[in-house]
Amino acid sequence: MSINKVMTLEAAMAHVPAGTRLMMGEFVGAGEPARCIEYMVAHKIGRLTLIAVTSGLRGDFLMGKLFAAGLVEEYIGTHVATSTEASDAYLSGQMRVKEIFPMGTWAEKVRAGAMGLGGCLVPVGVGILDAPGLFPEMTEPKRTIEINGRTFFVEEPLTAEVSIIRGGRADALGNVEFRYMAAQNQKDIAMAGKFTIAEVNEIVPVGTIPPERVGCPGPFVNAVVQGYTLEEQHRLYRDNWIKLGRLPKLPEGEEA
Amino acid sequence: MSHLHGQDPRVIIARRCAQELRDGEVVNLGIGIPTMTANYLPPGVNVIFHSENGCFGFGPKPGTLDADSDISNASTEPVTLLPGAAIMDLATSLGAMRNGYIATSVLGGLEVDQEGNLANWAHKRQGKWWPGIGGGMDLCHGVPRIIAALQHTDKHGHSKIKKRTLLPLTGRNCVKTIVTDHAVFDVTAEGLILREAYPGLNVDNIRSITEADFAVAADFRPMQL
Repeated sequence: MSINKVMTLEAAMAHVPAGTRLMMGEFVGAGEPARCIEYMVAHKIGRLTLIAVTSGLRGDFLMGKLFAAGLVEEYIGTHVATSTEASDAYLSGQMRVKEIFPMGTWAEKVRAGAMGLGGCLVPVGVGILDAPGLFPEMTEPKRTIEINGRTFFVEEPLTAEVSIIRGGRADALGNVEFRYMAAQNQKDIAMAGKFTIAEVNEIVPVGTIPPERVGCPGPFVNAVVQGYTLEEQHRLYRDNWIKLGRLPKLPEGEEA
Repeated sequence: MSHLHGQDPRVIIARRCAQELRDGEVVNLGIGIPTMTANYLPPGVNVIFHSENGCFGFGPKPGTLDADSDISNASTEPVTLLPGAAIMDLATSLGAMRNGYIATSVLGGLEVDQEGNLANWAHKRQGKWWPGIGGGMDLCHGVPRIIAALQHTDKHGHSKIKKRTLLPLTGRNCVKTIVTDHAVFDVTAEGLILREAYPGLNVDNIRSITEADFAVAADFRPMQL
């Protein structure tokens, strides 16, 4: 087959100009597309609308750097303070946050965007999140609907111009295999973006990934880029975990 | 906290919360003090820990060289996977929380009140509500037994156990049990019932630091720590 979605980082990131509405796979720093983030920081790709479940992990780590560099104009997610960098950008007024969603609501809004639905009906937070004044930048009150005597919020889908996900292995067709908890909702995010970049630890020949292990099928992916190898990625996270006191330091002279 | 004689109040709370967990149930622990609960499970009590980033059955922290960058909990601390662990995607994991598949959740709180309302996601900072919801609201919506784990008073000595919290809520009428470094309350339709106090404290001691109204259980006793 003549399909080859493998690209250089530069070629893929040419699809991410300043002002992009960008969705990114992650969970408090885990499963983040490290090299794409570093590219955006190095090239100061700003005025981003960033759709991500959390605002990353503190400690000058990956996605948090986008906030620290002032590249995020608006954040759409569930938490502004998982990284101090995002918290500072929000509190200083540099970054806009119209509304904060419960995590399950956010995940279903992304799923609705991924699956071509008109939205979803969510019971969580009714009578709480629609309190006047809670989100001053919201232009319209939250819509509700009654079904069988229960009240639900009407939540619109979330979509993006570009989605960036991070997987373990991928092939030239764009099939992506995820590792452990880094699966997150990366497949939904891939489907919710018009142009989707998959950054992976390893690019393998077509046919290597067993079909039942494909977490994100190739048709949902436009570009595959080589990220850090798994070993490099382990070291990156281990170093940050040691720095944050979440893992004990290695004994003197002991190297991974 | 003078009554603790130098012990860490968070450890007292975590130890006491661990006694609330039932063998074989599925449990979600929130960030902070609740996470520490896993360290103090009584002998013979084994539970399935759920992590909202998409896992049933995670285990303790690995050694530094064994840490895997793709195996971490909801606070992105490295964890291990126990035999029988199961991984799911994020929407499924949050669906499990919303739709009753988690039996018990231990959650931290800024304030809790006598109607079982929990506030743990927002306080005012620089005129804005800060910081964020995460999965807490999904848990309060769908988990039948929410245990609120928090220090009894703030750093100024004000009660965090309120008659009525005025902070934005995480969940309404959702808390079933409140565990603090001073006391354990059940939340009932008739209001709070004081079940236990830290050893050496009496009902008047608890009343003097508690804004909420409460009744005292017939079998009121000291915490067994």
